[in-house]
Amino acid sequence: MQTVNLTQMDKEGIAEKVIAMGGEGLLNCVQCGACASVCPVARAGFSLYCKNLIKKLQSGYMEEILEDSSTWACQACNRCTEICPRDVKPSEVVFAFRRIQAEELAISTSAFTPLMSLYETGHAVYNKRSKELRKKVGLPETPPTSIGDPKAVAELQKILDDSPMAELGIFLNLMSRKQEK
Amino acid sequence: MEQFGMYLGCNIPFNAPDIEQSFRQTFPNLGVEVVDLQGATCCPAWGTAPSFDINTWLAISSRNITLAESEQVDIMTGCNSCFGILAEAKHMLDHDPGRKAQVNRLLSKADRKYSGSSEVYHVAHVLHNKIGVEKINASAKYTLRQLKVAVQPGCHLLWPSAVMKVKEKNPFFPTMLKELCHALGAETPHYSRLESCCGMGAMRSTNQERALDTLKDKLKSMKEEIDPDMIVTTCSSCYLQFDNAQKLLRDKGEIDFAIPVFYYTQLLALCQGLDPAQVAAISETPRDEIIVRIQSKQRLLN
Repeated sequence: MQTVNLTQMDKEGIAEKVIAMGGEGLLNCVQCGACASVCPVARAGFSLYCKNLIKKLQSGYMEEILEDSSTWACQACNRCTEICPRDVKPSEVVFAFRRIQAEELAISTSAFTPLMSLYETGHAVYNKRSKELRKKVGLPETPPTSIGDPKAVAELQKILDDSPMAELGIFLNLMSRKQEK
Repeated sequence: MEQFGMYLGCNIPFNAPDIEQSFRQTFPNLGVEVVDLQGATCCPAWGTAPSFDINTWLAISSRNITLAESEQVDIMTGCNSCFGILAEAKHMLDHDPGRKAQVNRLLSKADRKYSGSSEVYHVAHVLHNKIGVEKINASAKYTLRQLKVAVQPGCHLLWPSAVMKVKEKNPFFPTMLKELCHALGAETPHYSRLESCCGMGAMRSTNQERALDTLKDKLKSMKEEIDPDMIVTTCSSCYLQFDNAQKLLRDKGEIDFAIPVFYYTQLLALCQGLDPAQVAAISETPRDEIIVRIQSKQRLLN
C-alpha cells in the first residue's frame, strides 16, 4: 500500500496557509467521511463541503477551487466538528478557506450587504420596518442596541477600521463618508 | 431575583420583536430579571467578520461580552447564531491566553477589556437548567394537553458541544426542547429529521432554491410522520425560515399545508395567559386559530 506523507506534499504551502488561517486540524484528516454524513451543505448538493474541500486542500488544490462560492453556504452548524473522530474540526477548515477566499476578494456577493450594514449600524441584519413592528407589539421603537447608540457604533468602527477587512477596501466608501462628516 | 443580560442580536429586535416581548414578559414570571445590554452590536454574524479574520471576530464578540461583564451578569441570547458565535469566541479567548492578549489590544481602541467573568447561555439553557421544568409548569395558566408539537432546537444550540456550559446528553438526539414542551403539557413525538438543518442563514443567502429544498424535506418529514399542531423552536433564524419560507413553499405550490410556528417563549407566554397581540403578533404563516385554541376556557388550569 502506498503511504502518503501529507506534510511533504505541501509544496505550494497551501496546507500551511490553511492552518495559519484557523484550519489547524487539516492534516489530521484521513477522509473517513463522518463529517459528510451529517453535513447539511453536502446533503443539499453544493459542490464544496467539509470532506471534499479538505481532500482538495490536502492534495494541493487552491487556485482551482478559489472561486467556488459554495463554501459560503456553510452554516457553521459544527455537526462535522462534533462527529469528527480525528479532531480535524472540519468547520474551521471551511472557515479558514473562506478567509483565504476573502483575501482574494472571492467573496459571495451575498456577503456585502450585511458587511456594510454591520459597519454603519452595528447590525448585519436591519429591517427598516422594525420601528413599526416594535410599536405594534408594545415595545419602544428602538431597541437598547447599537442602532440607537452612536457611541457603540463608533467603538465598533474603531475595531473595524484597523482590521484586515478594512485593508480589503470593503468599507472604503463608508469610511470616507464618515470623514466628510 | 436572578439576573441575566439579554443579548438580542439582530433578527429578534428588528424582524421578530414579538419574540423579544415574550422574553421580557415571561422571564419575570419565572423569577428571572432581564437586564438590557445597552449598546450591543451584531455578534458578528458568521458571514461577516468570522469569514474574514479571527481576531476581528473575537474583538467584536468580546466587546459584546464586556457589556455583560460590566453589569456583572451572565449573557443569555435567544438567537442560535449569536449563541454559537459568542460561545465559540468565549471558548477561544478563555483557552488561549496569547489570543486573549491580542484581542484585548484591539479592544483597547474601544476602551474596553475582556476578562472572561461572564458566561454565555442560550435562552433554552436558562429555561431548562437554571429555571427548570417544574417552575415553568407552575407558571402556566393554560395547558397544551393533547396538542402535538414538532420540535426544532436549531443547529448552534447543539454543536459543537465542547464550547457550551450546558450540553445535551446526545446532541444528535436532543431532548431539552421536548422536555420544555412537556412542561406545558404538549406531546412531542419523534420525527426522523428532527436534528436536520432548516436551510436558513448562509445556505439561504448563497442559494435560495437549495435552502428551500432543505426546508421542504424537513417540513414533509414533520407533516407525514407526526402531523403536528405546531412547530416550536428555540432559534430565531429557524423561526423565520419555518414561518416565512414555509409561505414561500406554499406560494410556489411545493407544499399544500400550513403548520403554525412559535418560538418557545411565545408559546410559554400564551400558556401564561399573556396577550397574543404583544407576544405572538407577527407571522407569515397564520397562527390565530391555534392561539385561540390554546387560550380557550377548556384549557384553563385551576
